[in-house]
Amino acid sequence: MVRRIICFGVLVVLAVLLMAGTLCIGPVDLDSDMFATVLWKLRVPRLVAAVLAGAALSVSGLSLQTLFRNPLAGPFVLGISNGASLGVALALLAGFSFGNFGVLTAASLGALAVTVIIFWIASKFERNSVLLVAGLLIGYFIDALVSLLIAGSDAESLRMYISWGMGSFGRLTPSNIWIFAVAVAVGLLLIVSCLRYLNGARLGDDFARGLGLSVAVQKKCVLLGASILAAAVTAFCGPVAFIGIAVPHLTYLLFHTTNHRVLIPGVMLCGADLALLAGLFPTIPLNATLSIVGVPVILWVLLRSGREGRL
Amino acid sequence: MTNEVPLLQCKKLEFGYGKVSGAAAIAGTSDAVGAAPALAAPLDFTLSAGEVVAVVGANGSGKSTLLKTLAGFVQPLSGAFEIEGVVNMPLRERAKKIALVRMGNMVPSRMTVREFVGLGRTPYSNFLDGRLAEDGRIVDDALATVGMTAFANRAVAELSDGERSRVYLAEALAQQVQILLLDEPDAFLDVPHSHHLFKMLRTLAAERKMGILVSTHSIEYAEKYCNRMMVIDKGCIQVDTAAEARAHGLLRWTEEEIV
Repeated sequence: MVRRIICFGVLVVLAVLLMAGTLCIGPVDLDSDMFATVLWKLRVPRLVAAVLAGAALSVSGLSLQTLFRNPLAGPFVLGISNGASLGVALALLAGFSFGNFGVLTAASLGALAVTVIIFWIASKFERNSVLLVAGLLIGYFIDALVSLLIAGSDAESLRMYISWGMGSFGRLTPSNIWIFAVAVAVGLLLIVSCLRYLNGARLGDDFARGLGLSVAVQKKCVLLGASILAAAVTAFCGPVAFIGIAVPHLTYLLFHTTNHRVLIPGVMLCGADLALLAGLFPTIPLNATLSIVGVPVILWVLLRSGREGRL
Repeated sequence: MTNEVPLLQCKKLEFGYGKVSGAAAIAGTSDAVGAAPALAAPLDFTLSAGEVVAVVGANGSGKSTLLKTLAGFVQPLSGAFEIEGVVNMPLRERAKKIALVRMGNMVPSRMTVREFVGLGRTPYSNFLDGRLAEDGRIVDDALATVGMTAFANRAVAELSDGERSRVYLAEALAQQVQILLLDEPDAFLDVPHSHHLFKMLRTLAAERKMGILVSTHSIEYAEKYCNRMMVIDKGCIQVDTAAEARAHGLLRWTEEEIV
């Protein structure tokens, strides 16, 4: 209990410091005339994007890891983010129009399509390894489709797609903040409404059923929530790697619990912190920063849990 | 017994894997499964408060399927069973009345004994899975009953088989069920631990007025510790008192040679 309070405290303080950093650090100084404009037009949206994206991806990753009982599951490994990429590629490269919200709708539809396929496979096969391999294969397949689109596109739209693919928190416009926030809130609500299921899910469907949980409904609810979160982030910030998979493991190490009542706020804070930290260097592509931080962390966790035989 | 409603009553219950689900369908056995016959003749059986009934029978005779059917994981092929007089009890209510303890449970990594036993309070928890002080006391009590209080903060994955089987039992106790189903709880236990487990089941049945149905391969424990014995042999189910089952010829199958 004391440990949890200390962890939450440290994470909150860190978040506040990083937010202050995000708002104050940059080429325009605090005492400049332009500061107010820069603050509200650029830095506040960037801060909101980082916080929402970090929290959303972490919760998405955590719930998928729990649902599939697999420490490697996440929006990326299961191909959900690739699906979103395909949607965006269709919008930006092939010129398909997706209505008012354009890229967002495209990303959401792509992510949802992959989720449906993954879920269909998951309901057919009990073994997680099948799902993992299937997710990777779907990812490769979609990447191949995207490369076909790339081959046939002009330089300008290609540049737009590639810069989208590097990920950035700087793309969120003040007018879009609300759409992003609502999408994340809906995804979070869907997942939080399945808290009781998430806590029992690690022990298998029969066990959860024995606890009086309606497994089929709750599973779909979690999958839908997780894919909405992944899709929203991918649409607004690009395919942001690693947060979804790395943060849940970091949070386990910090909080030493499997209770999602603690884990969900825990991963949200951790994810927001990590995203804010990565966002402090707007000149470096986001995915480069995150992978440089993320890969060693994942490796360390995997080696550690592998040695203890608890993976 | 008196004219109270019995804890569990099977009425012409036939069980087996009738409906194809998930893995079985993929394995290409759907044709065979679609026409799967019941594993045993229709079962009429009443489980009363305070008794321990052993379910014995050869491998594949349907012991586990019967228990899974009663736990609600498998649909009955025909007939019905009532839990405290109610047919088709809603899932959540059912979880407060009946629990199936299985040893082959997936071991949750990173989960402590206390967290695992605490899952037994899920049927009673609110929307956000909160816990009250009362829940904590019930979990403590369940751990104390199986003698695992000292292990509360250990990871379930690190326990020995014997310790883990007691933790699984404690989880069911935390559900505060009246009907306890156990699927071969002595499968991984040595002789002293098995004796201890069966003694514990008898105490639970007597003190908490629980009805316990326990499948086992050990005829010895069934005869020694259980009130009655349900024998599933070649599709035929017979129920007799544990003391007289052998004399009445119910255990003849145990001496047959496999050809």
